[in-house]
Amino acid sequence: MIDRIACVLAVALLATGVDRIHAEIPSTPKSAKGEAFVPQPQLAKIASLGFDSLASDYYWLQAIQLVGGAVEDPSAHGYTIGRLVDIVTQLNPHVGHPYRFAAIWMTGSENDVRFANELLERAIENHPSDWRNYFYKGFNHFYYLAEYPEAADELEAAAGIAGSPAYLKRLVPRLRSQSEGLEVAAAMLSELHRSAPGPAARVEYEKALDEIETERRARMLDDARERFKKRHGRDIEQVEELAVGPKRVLRELPPEIHGWEWMLDNRTGEIVSSYYKARYQVHQHHRPGLFTPSAKTAKTNVREGSEQ
Amino acid sequence: MTTEGREVVRVEGLVKEFRPGLGLRAKRVLDGITFSVQENEIFGLVGPNGAGKTTMLKTLMGLIRPTAGTASILGHDIQESGFRKHVGFLPEVSYFYDYLTGVEFLDFYAKLSGVPRADRPERIATLLGWVGLSHAGDARLRTYSKGMLQRAGIAQALIHDPQIVFLDEPMSGLDPLGRKEIRDLILRLRSDGKTVFMNTHILSDVEMVCDRVAIIVEGKIRYEGQIEHFISSDQQRADVVLANVSAELASTLEERFRAELRDHGQQVEARVPEKIVSDLLRACLEAGAQVLSVTPVRVSLESIFLETVEETTHAREQEGL
Amino acid sequence: MFGRIATIANNTVREAVRNKVLYALVFFAVLLIGVGVLLSTLSYVEQERIIQDVGLSAIRLFSALISIFLGVGLIHKEVDRRTIYTIVTKSVARWEFLIGKYLGLVATVWMQVIVMSVAFLAVSYLTGAPIHAQHFYALLLTAGEVAMLVAIATFFSAFTTPMLASFFTGGFYVVGHLTRDLKQLGSQSDVESVKTAANVLYRLLPDLESFNLTVEALHGLPVTPAEVWFPLLYGLAYISVVLLLGSVVFHFKDFR
Repeated sequence: MIDRIACVLAVALLATGVDRIHAEIPSTPKSAKGEAFVPQPQLAKIASLGFDSLASDYYWLQAIQLVGGAVEDPSAHGYTIGRLVDIVTQLNPHVGHPYRFAAIWMTGSENDVRFANELLERAIENHPSDWRNYFYKGFNHFYYLAEYPEAADELEAAAGIAGSPAYLKRLVPRLRSQSEGLEVAAAMLSELHRSAPGPAARVEYEKALDEIETERRARMLDDARERFKKRHGRDIEQVEELAVGPKRVLRELPPEIHGWEWMLDNRTGEIVSSYYKARYQVHQHHRPGLFTPSAKTAKTNVREGSEQ
Repeated sequence: MTTEGREVVRVEGLVKEFRPGLGLRAKRVLDGITFSVQENEIFGLVGPNGAGKTTMLKTLMGLIRPTAGTASILGHDIQESGFRKHVGFLPEVSYFYDYLTGVEFLDFYAKLSGVPRADRPERIATLLGWVGLSHAGDARLRTYSKGMLQRAGIAQALIHDPQIVFLDEPMSGLDPLGRKEIRDLILRLRSDGKTVFMNTHILSDVEMVCDRVAIIVEGKIRYEGQIEHFISSDQQRADVVLANVSAELASTLEERFRAELRDHGQQVEARVPEKIVSDLLRACLEAGAQVLSVTPVRVSLESIFLETVEETTHAREQEGL
Repeated sequence: MFGRIATIANNTVREAVRNKVLYALVFFAVLLIGVGVLLSTLSYVEQERIIQDVGLSAIRLFSALISIFLGVGLIHKEVDRRTIYTIVTKSVARWEFLIGKYLGLVATVWMQVIVMSVAFLAVSYLTGAPIHAQHFYALLLTAGEVAMLVAIATFFSAFTTPMLASFFTGGFYVVGHLTRDLKQLGSQSDVESVKTAANVLYRLLPDLESFNLTVEALHGLPVTPAEVWFPLLYGLAYISVVLLLGSVVFHFKDFR
């Protein structure tokens, strides 16, 4: 009896030890270590030995873990994601979502966006009747690359496919005329937000939509400022002046979305949100190689920019 | 037992060589074997382990292809297969599907041998009774003793009522009672008109059941003949112990009777064929010698066997020298 | 003849289903089909596809393992345990024995494929994943693929040890899924002899990839009749050739 108990205790002790040691081994997915892990698609195809779709799903799960919390900033791993999705879609080109997954997360640099568009090209080849792939591609052209004619072409193609939302048709001429981009961006972002596959991606679009809304309100304040100048013959010293006193131009200031406040930028004198501390410059800043779709990626771009 | 019976097995100049591997010299296991088996006899192929008995039997059974020479069973060349329905076979150590019951086991072989479906149950019951396994028909072979397995194996060999049965070491590994049971079965086969060919190295069994034997040593047949030959009077000898043997008598014994003499001083021991003992005794008494004893010497198959093996070994050693 | 082959096939099934490793493999296959549900939750999209992908792949992988595992010892074991002695010395031709063993094992493996398919369909049904005709075509062709594999394993088992036979059969399985790449590789080569060699190998080796309709099933892609019936016809013909070769080799074998 005693020796039996001793045996059970010894096993329990050893098992605990094993568990402790095991916990010390880093359990991050291999893909988080970066692109070194990602094989050449041709090699992956041969190594899958006829289990192409299974291997494809394996790499898909690797890619998905990158945005599921395995790394802090998924869009900084855009190239790795692209390589993974490249394998996923070469092993099984019939998959649907991974192409758009790549488009959602490959926003860190111009190269990433162009790579994502190549993958979307493959998606269009394999799913010619899915308007979403054209839409994502068009969005990339418009939002990150500032290539309006190309964006218009893609959206036109998307609009021509049965089942696409009606407003796409209205966006096309706006893009062609290169007019105000704020509403186009808002419309497209709303669509992306609506169809976002998961909370993580949705948060990104919410941020972008936030900025656009903030910008919309800032522009309202700009208008008010112009009216203030006309009425008072001088510029404001503080943003609050717009909504105080008997000769105010606004009944009240539009609230800053994040509950922060409006302020005048010391450097430019522009009205900015104290949250962003800079104006959202719809098109001008979306030159190739400079990305500011959100504060977060802007930070990333500074780093990437210094590397280039 | 007559030698005039129909020949049911004929082997002529059979050679089998095994190649142990590429480039290695072939090993000759059967070296020009010739013998025949007559209808309704029990024929024993006798030899020490490794002499080629099993290879010979496997060749006859078509499990091994001969390198040279011919062999036929019931007038058919062994390369053919149609005649096999008249042939039964019990391999050396019987490995059977041990998850089958006795009845299933026999049913399996009955189906393979083409026993009509309607006849199978009766045939199986008869055979089980015949080999004394009626009580174990529903037990799995895994639970059988060695002797029971061997009897089941014989039943399997007989399932299709063959004319000739080949048994490889049917009595090895059995206890005395088991051996007696198998022996009785073999004798009954002969009385049922079957021909039995068996391989064995147990000589007492050969003596008890075989009509004819062939002795095989190192792939060659050293002896083939009737078993009575060994036990008959011209092969059997007697030791006659004599006293007062004169020199004249001694030379007479050696020359006329071809006796082997051994001088023990006062006495002389003479070994002679049994059938001339009475003539010899008469001559001795006439010459005034005293007869002390007459002892028949039973020359067993074993001694012939051993002599044969020794001769071969000697011959080979001398060749080697 | 048919009676004898059927008897041997029947006995082969009886013996094979006694093998515990068989059940272990089927158990793991069914387990993996179930684990697919867990794996799919890692992905927030196309979960049903991942469940079915893991399920179909598990069926293909484990039925191949079962085929190789049971096939490589199929004939060799009978010779090694000498159970074959009492069979081929009856009026059973050696080729009848070989075909009977082959058919028995194919029947056994197919039973396992059916068990795994039922598990697959059950999991698909319970998770609400779509089931269409392509799934049945894919399962049918998996049955065809294992019949090819068993034939190849039987062939090697007729004259070599299980160890070597499993290397060879495993090799054929791997290469059989790469013959198309091989052909591709050959056609890209500038050297004429490489081209010819690649083409010869492509035609000689079993094109197991033609039995793979997994992707079509997962995405409900259109499948032409030629994609289903020609592989099956090709398999039947290939199996006939392999078994004929095996029978010839087996016919001249000495059972020492």
